[in-house]
Amino acid sequence: MTGSHFFCLSKHLILIGILSIAAGCATTQTPDSTAGNSDDIESANRVFFDVNETLDKHLMKPIAEAYVDMTPKVVRTGVTNFFDNLKYLNVIFNDFLQGKFTQGVNDSLRFVFNSTLGIGGVFDVATNDMRLEKNDEDFGQTLATWGFDEGSYLYIPLMGPNTVRDVTDQVPSTFLNPFFYVTSTILFPISALDAVNKRANLLEASNLRDEAAIDPYSFTREAYLQQRDYLIYDGNPPVSGYDDIFSEAEDESGGVLIIE
Amino acid sequence: MTSKNHSIQSGLKLWFAIYLFFSANILLAETEQEQAMQTPVNELHDALINIMKSGGSSSFEDRYSIMEKVITKKFNTPLISRVVLSRYWNSLDEKAQTDFIDLFNRLTISTYVSRFDSYDGESFKYLSTESMKKDRFLIKTELLRADDDPVSFNYIVQIDAGQWKIISVIANGINDLSLKRSEYSSVIEEQGFESLIASMREKISDLQPKRAQ
Repeated sequence: MTGSHFFCLSKHLILIGILSIAAGCATTQTPDSTAGNSDDIESANRVFFDVNETLDKHLMKPIAEAYVDMTPKVVRTGVTNFFDNLKYLNVIFNDFLQGKFTQGVNDSLRFVFNSTLGIGGVFDVATNDMRLEKNDEDFGQTLATWGFDEGSYLYIPLMGPNTVRDVTDQVPSTFLNPFFYVTSTILFPISALDAVNKRANLLEASNLRDEAAIDPYSFTREAYLQQRDYLIYDGNPPVSGYDDIFSEAEDESGGVLIIE
Repeated sequence: MTSKNHSIQSGLKLWFAIYLFFSANILLAETEQEQAMQTPVNELHDALINIMKSGGSSSFEDRYSIMEKVITKKFNTPLISRVVLSRYWNSLDEKAQTDFIDLFNRLTISTYVSRFDSYDGESFKYLSTESMKKDRFLIKTELLRADDDPVSFNYIVQIDAGQWKIISVIANGINDLSLKRSEYSSVIEEQGFESLIASMREKISDLQPKRAQ
């Protein structure tokens, strides 16, 4: 392991450690009972959120918009495919950890076909020509299927919304990304392209949020946590979860939702 | 064949016929109920496709008018408002509640008109219906897009005064009701109810010039 790799990994581990301790220490604070989710360190999260929003507004978003204006969609799709393919070993790893063996085999084939016939992952031949659908798995989802609670909500500078459980994905996703084992100055522009392309892919969602949200912080937190549940259940969360909000309202109104 | 066997056989046939008759009626009733509960969702989808197709040619007022008819009739906005405001609902007097319902309705319509403003071959596809507690049903659909992944659009419907109405919209797993409740609670707690009302009015106003352009 090179010095830069060790530094990179240490950075992730220290980040996880600090955040876990911070979240643990903060559990004596009153949770946000209205949201139904644990945002124990909301005041700190809001500070980080404001910092990120400022950075995004003045730096990342304008760069991403310029990138979209200058780059044809087909090129951006290729760039997205390339980086998604690099991160796909982590998906395969988590398929097997979650006991999804058939999906794990299919995802392994996806990775092999896209890396070879798809020229390093630039072309998604597995989806388009082989009907091997793309899956979205990570270590946070694996821990959820193993029964771990999400823990406190965290808004991490530069990374964005997260939870104590989900942030653990930084370890396997770092180790399983082939770029982790490459030492070259070319990594810097490639990492920058990854960041800009990722932000460009989120432009539609962030514009939608800016258009709809009255409190962007709460909106982001709620949308993130719900989206994570959706992914954990592979797009089919239990229907009973949707009843909860009505049951709570019924409890508050003495058992029945009476609307005049 | 003895006459006893013959009468048993006739009896069985009769029971089978009765069974078929009632089964068919039950199935028919279930189908009719399923169709009835899908009506608000189908009408919403038709209206959305309509305003998407006319996004480049019709005025904001025309498209708003199309959505207003559907959302006012097919969404149970009073119930949605009650759930979204959570415990704050009971602290409002009747006039404040009515005003909030009206404001929430206008914000919902404005948001739909703003979001569904162009058409590129999209269509909605019905997937399935699942039952929930207290005669609520989850209707699963998806929005198919020409060059992109489908977007899941699920709706919770419930009967209200003899009419099936939408009480929640869940897009790609994100429940609009939970989202708004969380947001609104946060604003009320930190800045007060009047501030929430002001923000909602401002949001409606922000959406209008953009759509009118």
